[in-house]
Order: sequence, then structure tokens, then C-alpha cells
Amino acid sequence: MAIPSPKNPILSAQNLCVESVGAKESFPVLTDLNFSLEPGKILGLVGESGAGKSMIGRTISQYLPNGFAVTKGTLAFDGEDLVSMAAERRRSLLGREIAFIPQEPLSGLNPVLTVGQQIKEHLLRIGLAPGENWRERALKEFESVHLPHGAALLEKYPHQLSGGMCQRILIAMAFASRPRLLIADEPTTALDVTIQARIVKLIAEMQKRDGTAVIFITHDLRLASQISDEIMVLYAGRPAERGPAKQLFSAPAHPYTRCLQLANPTITGPRRGLFILPERMPGLRVLKELKGCRFASRCPNAIEACTRTEPPLADIGPNHIAACIRTEKTPDIVPPPLAPGREIASSKIHLNGEKLTKAYTTAWSPFAKRSVFKAVNSVDFALGEGEFVGIVGESGSGKSSLARLVVGLDTPTGGKITLAGRDVTANGNADRAYRREYIQMVFQDPQSALNPRRRIGSIVTQANEASGLHNSTRERMDRAAELLKEIGLPPDAAMRFPSQLSGGQKQRVNIARALCTLPRILVADEIVSGLDVSVQAQLLDLLLKLRDEHGFSMLFISHDLSVVRYLCDRVMVMYRGEVVESGRTETVFADPQHAYTRSLLAAVPPDDVNAEWSPVLAEAGYQVE
Amino acid sequence: MRMFATIAKLLVKRVLTAIPILLLVSALLFCILRILPVDPAAMSLPPNATVQEVEAMRTEMGLNLPLYQQYGIWLNKLFHGDIGRSIHFRQNVTSLIGSTLPATVELALIAMVVATVFGLAGGLFLFYVRGTRAEAVMDFISILLLSLPEFLWSLFLLLIFGVFFEVLPFTGRLSPGFERPVVTGFLLLDSLITGKLSTFFNALEHMILPCLALGIALSPSLMRVLRSSLLDAYQDDYIQQARLRGLSEKRILIRHGLKNAILPTLSLMGVQFGFLFGGTLLVEIIYSYPGMGNLMVDAIRNADLPIIQGAGLTYCIAVLVISIVVDSLYLILNPKLRVR
Repeated sequence: MAIPSPKNPILSAQNLCVESVGAKESFPVLTDLNFSLEPGKILGLVGESGAGKSMIGRTISQYLPNGFAVTKGTLAFDGEDLVSMAAERRRSLLGREIAFIPQEPLSGLNPVLTVGQQIKEHLLRIGLAPGENWRERALKEFESVHLPHGAALLEKYPHQLSGGMCQRILIAMAFASRPRLLIADEPTTALDVTIQARIVKLIAEMQKRDGTAVIFITHDLRLASQISDEIMVLYAGRPAERGPAKQLFSAPAHPYTRCLQLANPTITGPRRGLFILPERMPGLRVLKELKGCRFASRCPNAIEACTRTEPPLADIGPNHIAACIRTEKTPDIVPPPLAPGREIASSKIHLNGEKLTKAYTTAWSPFAKRSVFKAVNSVDFALGEGEFVGIVGESGSGKSSLARLVVGLDTPTGGKITLAGRDVTANGNADRAYRREYIQMVFQDPQSALNPRRRIGSIVTQANEASGLHNSTRERMDRAAELLKEIGLPPDAAMRFPSQLSGGQKQRVNIARALCTLPRILVADEIVSGLDVSVQAQLLDLLLKLRDEHGFSMLFISHDLSVVRYLCDRVMVMYRGEVVESGRTETVFADPQHAYTRSLLAAVPPDDVNAEWSPVLAEAGYQVE
Repeated sequence: MRMFATIAKLLVKRVLTAIPILLLVSALLFCILRILPVDPAAMSLPPNATVQEVEAMRTEMGLNLPLYQQYGIWLNKLFHGDIGRSIHFRQNVTSLIGSTLPATVELALIAMVVATVFGLAGGLFLFYVRGTRAEAVMDFISILLLSLPEFLWSLFLLLIFGVFFEVLPFTGRLSPGFERPVVTGFLLLDSLITGKLSTFFNALEHMILPCLALGIALSPSLMRVLRSSLLDAYQDDYIQQARLRGLSEKRILIRHGLKNAILPTLSLMGVQFGFLFGGTLLVEIIYSYPGMGNLMVDAIRNADLPIIQGAGLTYCIAVLVISIVVDSLYLILNPKLRVR
């Protein structure tokens, strides 16, 4: 398949270096980047956050963050250097020849302008055919991205639409000018799996139609291997490996690629342990001083020679290069054995829900009839001691509403919740106090869940304030030290502020806070989404380790089915407020009974790169949009 | 269409909530002023009146009825547009307020226009020079302006343009010799309606200094809010996305940035405008401007209860009207507030 085509590359980088240029010293952000992208091809850029993936997109547009600049090399678009090009010339390319699809579709559109106003502005800028009406053209573009009711859509504001619809609109805008290069920066990270699959397929479809070259930036190696022709794995601003997608994925040559792959849980086949990449990517300051391979500090195969000189990107196959001196050892990296499964004593039920319902009624108004919306509709569930139960479903399926009912942030409008033998449905003051001892919640976004003005030590022992017990400074500092040790943070972290920690560390703190008073049940709402796979693997294993030590049970809400498959004993699939299927995780995922479960599973990119990914089953009635 | 429906809903809702607010304020005004150790009966009689005469007057004025009955009578009269007679001016309060309110409204409106123009221009400029050395200078200037109150501006402007250069008048609303046309009570409007252009320009000249003083004093906070809302808006993805679509910086600023950043600025303007009604007081005194401010000062000095009550109610109604107008504007400019 890798027949070299005689076409000229649409984008080519030669020895491209981007540095953060400070007042005193400068740090390299992208180092010696070489690649070329031919028309009609898709290049997948993969790596952890901080690897420099998005910096490439920003370099192409030359909208670099303040203090960053290209210091060496060239980046040519169709033979013209984008870096040295006059700003006006570059601006005329943007939106016409070079288009971008953003990560956050909802915030990518201006909230105070209608969709019509925004697409009109874009269409008028890129120019319409003589006699063409912008409205007709917009509807045509909407049709090509399979957006129904285009005319009504033009009158809508972004907040009235779903993320998937906004992303389709942005894709329609991006392809309206038939661009020659498209940069899609994590275009599906903020979306549901089912919508992710459709959006990715859509980008591929449009790309084929127009012969557009695409740079597809993602942290998901599995997804990249499905859509891309070629993949470049970046590590700390430098390519670690580059090669044809399928080959790179099925036989990764660089240990980093292999580790990334093994850090991600599988969706099919036997469950395996997760490879835990230790620590973090080196920071800019460390990188500058570093002599040897930048991955050496985390590499399971590193030897003394690796720390002496930076390994060059060497050929290891047709069109396949890797920056490692021991590529032959890469296949030796294997995941650790899976922790032995737990037998759940189902006799000991901690938490029980019967016909649990949460209905919302619209506010009274003299102008409209009140309507009822059931966020959670007659849900039955049970959580045994030490059991991890996953709740999966798309956004709007009622997962988070159910979690709020369980922890007592909301009071159910129907049904019954029993917690360790006590009926807590009424959610009165006594129920709440009782609940606090039993259940704690871990929130999704550690950035906003941790008070930025408090030190970590005081954050993790916050629960002591409410109970009034062990609330002396001494006791709290002691407890904080214990908790930090359990979650694997250094003791001096207690004196730091949240802003001084990385995303993964913050999420650990978030977990530690919930564990402070040793609750019997944790409710975790999407606590690993938005984190790198390496950090995700660390956190998943941390949760399993903590369960072994403390024996708590957990309701684990996630849209990521492979994570649920790895972590949870049982799973509940929710659709529009109802549980449509539940059972042992392995059984449900291996032999799903409900059509909705099947479409959720089909939406996940398969583990086998050669397997057919046909995500859009379009089972009647289970289309969220 | 949906927008108008939403605004109509808002209007109905706000008018309905305004009624209890007005009742409460009127009750407060009535009670507090009745508790004051001032006897309206004694005040409306010459100083040499006898005790019997005062008693007779009290009975005549209904002052020996229970308080709630007095309030009922007062409220009933209020509904018929009768707030009573001024004790000091010996004139109907309604007509006193009717003749001074338009003057203050005119002053406040034009001052607000001045503040908006200076505020928007200054805010855009502050934002435009962000990250440069000029920003530090502008920042310093804007804080300096912020710390100067309107009466200082009044005095500065009066001394510079009125006394030193003698280019602008600084007392009253019209120069002597001009006849005041009365149609609506709004001088600028009336002089235009009656076609007396020279009167119009003379009145305008009189308004320049007080309006400038008020406008300049209000503008720095608008500048700073607009600048920081623009900085916030520019953190959002849609700005970056607009750049990546190749739109010009100017277009991004006006169409995408300003349209979002104007919202917090607008709510500040609403608050300021409400404040202006009480805030014109010092400026009115300095420029001997015959508005509500001057009337209030006289009324307070003479413990003229009916005027204080009337002015208090007027102020309350003005603030309610302004907040309804600002909220409607907000609905027009911010689609997120419209009901889905």
C-alpha cells in the first residue's frame, strides 16, 4: 500500500524548531520536526498533553502563544514558507486553503450570533459563485455534513444545539472553501463516543470528497490508527516514531508508542493489565539540559547508553522511522498481569435503588403549559460491598443525574434509596449526615473541584471540618500526610496549592479528598475523562489498589467503555433516563442484548487495526441527534 | 419573533413585581417621614400661631387619625396624582416635580451618552494597546480619572471653560432674555418643536459643562469593565476560531469580541444611570441647574416632607423603569437569556 506517489507535498516541515523565547533564556517546544504531507492523505499526530501536538497547528497558523516563535527550519505550504510569509498573505490562506476544526465545538462558535450569521460571514469571505445566494450555499454545505433541517438551523444560536451539531456546522464551514489542508485538533474529545465515531467518519468522508490533506491531532492512538494513513508520535516536542498507521499500530517500534498502546484498556478480547508509564514527560527546563533520549527516564528498556546521546530518527522499515537505539527490544514490553478478579459478596448490599425517578417540571409561566422531563426514570440498582459498578451512556442519558440522587445532591421525585439498611429517600438533615459518612463524590473536573486558594493539605481533610472531629491542625496535617502517601504524592505536596500540581496529580487529590473519612461508597463522575492515557492508567490502578486496602465500593460513571470494562465488575447502560441493560461487565460487553448497548460498543474504535470499524449502526430509534 | 415574545413576558413580569415594590417604598417613605420629629401642621402655619390653631390644623390635615388611615388617605391621593402641597414653596408637589424632572432627565441622558462614548472609545483603546508600553500609561490615566469625582470635574470645567476662557455659560439652563417654550417640559425637545433654534443651541451650551463633568466621571469605570470583558472574550475559542478562518482583527474585535464584551458593560451602565438620578445633585448645585437635585436640597433643608416623599417615589419609579429597559436590552443582545 505504501506506494510513493509522485505528488508534491501540500505541507512540509524541515528541521522546524519552535521555542519559548523568554527574556533570559529560551526553551525548545518543538525540536527538529521533519515531515511532509501529500494531498489527500491523513497524518495522525499522537502524544500526551504537552507533547507539542497542538503547537504544530498553531505554528501552521502562526498564531503562537505569546513568547513562542519559530527559531529554525521551514514550514512550507504548497512550496511557500508559512513562517516568513507576509501576515496578510497568510491570513488570506486561512479559512480558504487552510481550515481548522477546533476541540470544543460549543465554544468554537460565537454565542451571541446565530449559526446563519456566522456561516454567512464565512461564505462571503471565501467568496460565492456569481449569482449564488449565501443561504442556498449554506444549506448545501449543511446537507453534505448530514445536518437535517438546515433552514431552521440558520436561525439558531450555538447554545441551542448539541456539541455534535456544532461540530458538524464547524466542519461544514471548514470544508465550504474546499481547503487543501485541514487541521483537526482533538475534534472529538469533547463529544460522546457515538458522536465521535460519526464525526470522525464525516471528516474522512469530506476529506475524500475534496482530496484534502488532513492533520488529525488526538491523544487516542487507537482512533488515530483507524483514520490516518500515517501516524507521527510526538514525545516532548520531538517525533519519537513515524510510520504508516497500520504498521505503526500493529508493530510499534518506539517503546513510547508501545507503552501508550498498552496503557489504554482494550474493548475486545481478554482483559489485560495496563502498562503504567511512570512519572511525567520532562518539563521544558529539564529538556534543555537533557543529553540523552528524552524518553529514557520513563522507558522500561532504557540502558546506560540511552542517557548519553539523543538517538537519531532511524529507518526501521519502509517509510517507518523511530528515535530509539533498541527498537528490537520494544516487543518485549508487556503489560503487567491483570489483578485477580474479585468475587463480590452480593449478600452484602450497601446501596439499593428501587424505581428511582427524578422528574423536572418546567418553571411556571402564564404563557406555556408546564412540561415534565424525567432525567432518571424508574431505575433499579444495587451496589454490593467492594463492588465497582460502571454506568455508561451518552450525555443526557441521566448518568450524572443518577449520581446526584445517590449522593444526595438532589432529592428523588419517586422511588426509594436504601443506604446500608436505612431509607434515605427523603434526604432530610439526618439522612444527609448519615449519607456523608457513607458516600463521597469525586467530581469530574479537578481544575474547578479544588478551591484554588486552599493548600492541598487542607483540601484533602476538608471532610473533617463538617464532622468537627479530628479538626485540629495537627490531626489534619497527619491525616493529610497519610492520604497523600496513599494516593502516591510526596508529603510536601500538602503545602502546595492546586495550581502547582499537574492535571493527574489534581485528580489524585480529588480522590484523596473523597477518601478522607473512609467512606464505604465512592461516586465518581467521569473522573478520568480529559486525562492522558498514561495518567488514566495510573488512576485506574490507584483506585483498584485503594479498594484492596479499604474495601469501598464505587459507582463509576464514564462514557469510555474500555475503561469501564477494565475497572468495573458490573455495568449499567443508560439511555434517556432508563437502564436498558445491566449485568456483569464481561458478559454485557461480549454479548450485548440491547440494541443501544450494541451501538455504543460499535462506536469504539476496535483494538485490531485491521478490523472493520463500522460505528454507525444507525439502529432505529437510538440516534441521539 | 421569539425575542419580542420574551421581552413582552419580561415586561409583564417586571411591571407586576414593580407594584409591590412601589407600595413598599411608599409605605417606607410615609412612615419614616411621619416618625421624624417634624410637625407638618405647625410648619404650615405662621410661627406665631397658637396651640389651638395648630390643633385645628392637625385635625384639618388628618394628622390625629391612626397612621394606617393616614397612609390610606395619602395613597389614595397619590393614585390621583396628588402628593400634596409643598410647605416651603406653597405649590403643588406634582407640578414642582413635573417642572424639574425633565431637566434632570435631560441632564442624565446626555451625561450617559457622553459617558458611553468616552467609555467605549477608552475601553477599546485600552484593549487595543494591551501588552504595550502605552497600556501602562493608559492604565495610569484611567485610574487617575476613576479617582476624580464628578463635582471636582464640575469645578475644573467651570473654572477652565467658564471663568478662565469664558467660552461656555455655567449657570442655569438658559441665558437671560431667552423665552422658555413649554410643550413637554424637556427644554431641548421643546425648543426644537417650537422651531426656536437659537434657544436650542443656547440650552445645549448650558448643558455642555454639567454633562461633560458627569460623563467624564462615569466613563473610567465603563472603560475598565469593557477592557476586562474584552480580554475575557478574547480567551474564548470562538475568537481563535475566527482568526483561523482568516477574519481581520478589526472585524473580530467589532463583530465577535465587542458583541460579547458589551454585555457586562451594559449592566454597569444600567446601574450608573440609576445612580445618576441622585448623582446629579452636586453638579446641579454647582451649575445652579434647576433640576430635581436642587429641588431635593431645598426640600431637605426646609424639611419639606411632601417634596421629599414625591422625589423619593420618583426616584424609585425611575430606577424600576431603567432596570426594565436595561434588562430588555440585555435580552436583545444576549440570546442565551431567551427562553428556548
